[in-house]
Amino acid sequence: MKGSLIWNTQRYSSIFILCYLIYIVSFFISENNINFFTWSNFFLSFETRFITSITFILILVHSFIGLWTVGTDYLTKRTLGFLNKPLARYANIFRNMYSFAFSLLGVVYLLTILYIIWL
Amino acid sequence: MFGNKLQVSLYRYNPEEDKFPYMKKYTIEKPERDIMVLDLLHLLKEDDQSISYRRSCREGVCGSDGMNINGKNGLACITPISSVIKRNKIELRPLPGLPVIRDLVVDMTEFYAQYEKIKPFLQNETTAPEQERLQSPEDRDKLDGLYECILCACCSTSCPSFWWNPDKFVGPAALLQAYRFLADSRDNKTEERLNALSDPFSVYRCHGIMNCVSVCPKGLNPNKAIGEIKSMLHKNKKDIIVSDGV
Repeated sequence: MKGSLIWNTQRYSSIFILCYLIYIVSFFISENNINFFTWSNFFLSFETRFITSITFILILVHSFIGLWTVGTDYLTKRTLGFLNKPLARYANIFRNMYSFAFSLLGVVYLLTILYIIWL
Repeated sequence: MFGNKLQVSLYRYNPEEDKFPYMKKYTIEKPERDIMVLDLLHLLKEDDQSISYRRSCREGVCGSDGMNINGKNGLACITPISSVIKRNKIELRPLPGLPVIRDLVVDMTEFYAQYEKIKPFLQNETTAPEQERLQSPEDRDKLDGLYECILCACCSTSCPSFWWNPDKFVGPAALLQAYRFLADSRDNKTEERLNALSDPFSVYRCHGIMNCVSVCPKGLNPNKAIGEIKSMLHKNKKDIIVSDGV
């Protein structure tokens, strides 16, 4: 995979997340009478649900890139070997376990979010 | 506490004798005039001949005596002790992140391997002119701030990304040189050079920590060069190089 694709994905996803925040904040600013019904109307609209889903998928992608970077920086033979030499032998196992853990968390997170938004 | 005494804490390691590295403390008379850290090492070596370090030109040109001085990388020969001394103490360690051969001497194989990877020479397959390939003054200006690198490794060994992935991340010194050839109007292998750097590690492991800029003894800015390479990688065109360069 091209480094520029990963780099761009992370930057553009953060811009989208910022836009989403502005979208949500603008609701609170523009709406004079905020109560359960106005909030429900706003949040249950197709546009908001769609944008929210995209945003949370992008949060997931953004954090995956960040976590992958952390794993390939700190859970390597070299880095663990700095801490403790025998630990270096298990670096790949640790990194795979770490990747599995955050992938599993990501799937649970995504399913939960989509369930909350759409069902 | 030490009055006119100077306490030097020196990283010592001789793999033939020591199981682990250790810090050895030396106390010497504070020199009357301001001297360089390299001179201080010479004074220590007069008393203890076993101290090992690299040095050559002793004027900041050869880049041999890069070391970690009170926590910051620099060239011992052009660093006055007055600029680094803290409470009459100086701590000298080898460049971080590289394997230590002995005392302050590090194995720079990984550093040079990355330098070799970027093909640090002009590549131009067009027929060479009779005398030389000429450059306009504007094109020549683009190389200022790039060609001056002396490969002392102070920048790369202060970069955490290089510590963690010295085999994959090219590092600030070699990337500065990569841009030096990308920016050179006489080199026409831009696309090949960019393709060789396009993976997620070679350039993109730079997170803009800026340690390289902070420690460069020649006052260069590898981070800016890396930014220029990233711009070129996004567009993969040579014509985006700005004339005011790095």
